[in-house]
Amino acid sequence: MPKVWMKPPDGGEAIEVEATPEQLTPLMVLGYTQWTPPVAEGEEHVG
Amino acid sequence: MSVNVRELLVGFGKGKQTDISTANLVGATWRLNKLNTAPLNPQYITEDDAAEAGKGHEFATQTFKSHVLVGPHSIEKYISSEWVAWCAAFGLGNVVKTGTTNLVYTCTPTVPATSGIELPYFSYIEQTRPGGSAIFDNMYVGCRLKSFMASIQSGPGRSASKMTAEFVGSGLITTPSAITLPARTAVKELPGASLALTILGTNYVTLKSIVSLDWGWDNAPREETGFFPGSGTQAGYAVKGRIENGDRIPMLKFVTRVRVGAPEFTTLQDLTTGTAVITQTFDANNSYTATFQQMGFRVVELGETNGLMTLSVEASPQFHASNGVLTVVANTNIDGICQ
Repeated sequence: MPKVWMKPPDGGEAIEVEATPEQLTPLMVLGYTQWTPPVAEGEEHVG
Repeated sequence: MSVNVRELLVGFGKGKQTDISTANLVGATWRLNKLNTAPLNPQYITEDDAAEAGKGHEFATQTFKSHVLVGPHSIEKYISSEWVAWCAAFGLGNVVKTGTTNLVYTCTPTVPATSGIELPYFSYIEQTRPGGSAIFDNMYVGCRLKSFMASIQSGPGRSASKMTAEFVGSGLITTPSAITLPARTAVKELPGASLALTILGTNYVTLKSIVSLDWGWDNAPREETGFFPGSGTQAGYAVKGRIENGDRIPMLKFVTRVRVGAPEFTTLQDLTTGTAVITQTFDANNSYTATFQQMGFRVVELGETNGLMTLSVEASPQFHASNGVLTVVANTNIDGICQ
């Protein structure tokens, strides 16, 4: 199951969760939005 | 000169605009067929000085530019995985995209406290014979969804499964659009015959009792708050600087054949609540599931359809403490929707 980073609305620390509706929906209802972590130098994004 | 209405070309933002007044770039635009043939008619509103004193009479002597109204205008299409993804993403506003080739868009209504009450904006393009001798070639910038509504009826063919999106615009119009529309996007249509439907634990497809189903969402945008000091002008006409949600309305209603005991009446009387889960499928990578997280029945009416006794049920979707009102998960191969 793919995972996705979600960031809370208060700007707090992002969390990584499984990309299922059961995981995502309660977070989205709380105002979490999708977040893409910055690519570190020398690191390559896969996918 | 005669122009066949089906010469109309339609494109709109697959991706979202960066703000209400910045048009989609061609790379974020797609071209799709639609069923309703009427083109969009912008309304240029003017006013005059008839009511003013000092002219010596009650007649107008001059007209003045006021504002432009764009929409509501609708895009009616057969239901496809791409179309549901687009409608849910732009119509609900909170979107999580996962996957690379086989994409999954999880869409929920925005949370006003954290996201405000505006939704993503897109540009809408209509062209007839674009180029040097275009009949017309307009791009309406700063459009947003008013509502989307799925209609799944009994019967064969594509017309049994439609979704209509209704939108309004800011009033910003670019003529000519300067957009060369891309090739038409191939869509994966989701027939009515592929429906799976479970409402409050009852599988209406297994029972072979479902006759029709309508579900959707209305953002009831606030028309009156778009014009404010500094909202903007174009060619002397005021345009909207924002288009905000009003009181949003989730909608679900269905017609079912009557079963023994007509338990839908009991559900209504007992104020029973539960989920409604709606799925339509093309293949493993093209489908959608819409989940109303908590709902009861508001109206149950006995009637008949083609000589058979049926119940018309209007649901009352509610806010579930953890899962909100509505989640739409759309699977499609098209990337960049509302991104």
